Amino acid sequence: MIETRTSFDRICMGILWLGILFILAPLWIALMTASHSAVDVMRSGLAWYPGPHLVENVIRVFTDTRIPVQMFNSLVVALMTAVGICILSFCTAFALVFLNLRFGWLVFATIFGTILLPVDIRVVPTYQVMSNIMEPFAALGLPVSQISLVNTHIGLALPAIAHGTGTFMLRQFFRTVPMDLARAARMDGAGALRFMWDVLLPLSRPALAALFVLMFLGGWTNYLWPLVASSTADMQTAVVGLARLATDGDSRAPDFPLMMAAASTVSLIPLTLIAVLQRFLVRGMALTEK
Amino acid sequence: MTQSPFRSRPMALLFLSPLILLTALFFYWPVAEAIRWSFFLEQPFGGESTFVGFANFRRVLSDPEFWKSLKLTGIFMVTASVPAVLVPLMLAMAADRGLRTSRIARNVLVWPKGVAGASIGVIFGFIFNPFVGILTPLNQLWPGIWSPGTDGVDAFITLIVANLWNGIPFNFVILLAGLQALPDTYAKAAALDGAGPWRQALDIRLPLLAPQLFFVLVLEFTESIINAFGLIDTMTRGGPGGATTLLVYKIYADGFKGYDLSGASTQTVLLMIFVLLIAAAQFLLMERRVKYER
Repeated sequence: MIETRTSFDRICMGILWLGILFILAPLWIALMTASHSAVDVMRSGLAWYPGPHLVENVIRVFTDTRIPVQMFNSLVVALMTAVGICILSFCTAFALVFLNLRFGWLVFATIFGTILLPVDIRVVPTYQVMSNIMEPFAALGLPVSQISLVNTHIGLALPAIAHGTGTFMLRQFFRTVPMDLARAARMDGAGALRFMWDVLLPLSRPALAALFVLMFLGGWTNYLWPLVASSTADMQTAVVGLARLATDGDSRAPDFPLMMAAASTVSLIPLTLIAVLQRFLVRGMALTEK
Repeated sequence: MTQSPFRSRPMALLFLSPLILLTALFFYWPVAEAIRWSFFLEQPFGGESTFVGFANFRRVLSDPEFWKSLKLTGIFMVTASVPAVLVPLMLAMAADRGLRTSRIARNVLVWPKGVAGASIGVIFGFIFNPFVGILTPLNQLWPGIWSPGTDGVDAFITLIVANLWNGIPFNFVILLAGLQALPDTYAKAAALDGAGPWRQALDIRLPLLAPQLFFVLVLEFTESIINAFGLIDTMTRGGPGGATTLLVYKIYADGFKGYDLSGASTQTVLLMIFVLLIAAAQFLLMERRVKYER
C-alpha cells in the first residue's frame, strides 16, 4: 500500500498477543495445576509448570467423581439440542421463506420473541411447566394425566430447542438463496418437498453444519437450566457436576488439582470441536448477525 | 424479494406446528404462568393458592433487597458489557490488519465458546483465590489488599474479568466479520488523501462498524446478566454480603432454595420487564444515531 505502517502494525500485533495470552493463561494454569498434588498447590499456590501428577488426577476424576456419566449426559443433551434445532428450524424457516404464508410474519414474530427472554431469565416458571407439561392441556379441559420431564435428558434439552435463534439464522440464509432456483425447480415439475430435499438441503449443508456446532456448544455449556432441571447427580450435565464438585466440598480443604483436572476434562470435548471445526463455528456466529 | 412459486397450506402447517407448539409450551406458557403466579400466593408444597392482587408486587417492591439486586444487575450490565465489547473491538481491529499473528488469534480467540461460564468460573475462582491464586504475592506485600471473599468490589471485578473472557469469541467474530465486509475502496481513498492508519481506524473503520457495534452491545447487555449466573454460582455465591447477588441469582435462590414461588415469579416478571425495557431503550436511543447505509 501507500503509507508505511510498521508502528501501527506493531501495536496491533501486541494487542493480538495480549488477547491470545488472556485467553490461554487460565486454561494453561488449570492444566498445569491439574498436574500437581493437592498438598503442593496448598503450599506453593497455582502452578505455571507441569508436574508429575496429571494422569493420577485425571484418573481420580474418572473414579472418584460422577463426571464420566455426567459427560455422557452432556453429550446426549448437546446432541439432542443440536439435532432438534437443526431439524425444526430447517422446517420452520423453509415454510416461512418458501411457502408464501399470509401470516408468515406473525409466525416469525412469535418465534422471534423467544430470543428476547432466554430460559435463564424465566427459569422458575419454566421449571414448574416442565414438572407437569400436561398442565396447559388440562387447563383446556382435556382429560390428561400428569407428566413430568424434570430429571430426564429430553427435559434438559427442550427449553433450548424451543428457541428462535436457529430459525432466525436459517431464515436469513434462505433469503440469500436466489428465488430463481425455486422457480427453475418448479418449472422442471418439482414440488415444494422435492425442492426442499434436492435443492435447498444440499445448499444449506454449510449453514446447517455451522448451526449444529453452535448449538452443540450451547447445549454443552448451558448451566442454570440443567442445574435446576436435574435432581440427581447421575442426571446432571458435566458442567453442573464440575460446579458442584468445586462448591459443595465446604467441609474439607479444597482439592484444587482435582477441580482443575475436572475442569480440563469437561472442556476437552467442546475445545477439540472448536479447534477442528473452527471454520463452521465462526460462520455460524457471523450468520446470527445478518 | 420475488415471490416463491410454492404454496401449500397443509405442508406449511405441518412444518410450522412442531416449533410453534414447543415455543407455546416452553416459552409462552411459562411466561404467562409467571404473570399469573405473581398475582397469587402459592403454598410452597402444593395446596391451595389464593388470589392476592398486587400484594406480591407490593411486597417485592418494598423490599430493599430487591432494589439492591436490581441496582447491582444494572451496574453489572454496564460495567461488564463495556469491556466485553471494547476489548473484542480492539482485537478485531488489530486482527483485520492481516498480520501473521491474526491467523493464530482468530483461532484461539473463539476457544472460550467451548468453555461454560460455570467452568471458567471454577478456574477463575481458583486463579483469583487470595491464598493460593495469582494475586497472592500482592497480599504478601500489602495484607488484605486482594480479598474477593470479603470485599464486594474485588468480587465484582473477578466476575467482570471472567465475563470478559467468556464474551470475547462472539463479539470478536461479529466485529471482525463487519470489518472485513467493508469495501477497501474507503481505505484506499483515505490513504490517497494522506490519512495514516490511526486516522483510518478511528475516522473510517470505526464509524462504518457502527451497526455491528450496536448489535453486539444490545446482545451483550442481556448476555452479561445471563452469563453472570454461572459465574456467581461458582465464584462468589452472591456474596460477600450480597454484593454480587444479581437479580438472576436472587430469583434462583428465592425460588429453588427459599421455596418462595410467588416472590420468585413476581421478581421474574419484573426482570422480564427490565430486560425488555433495556432492549427497547437501546433501540430507541441508539438506532437513531447509527447510519445503516454504506
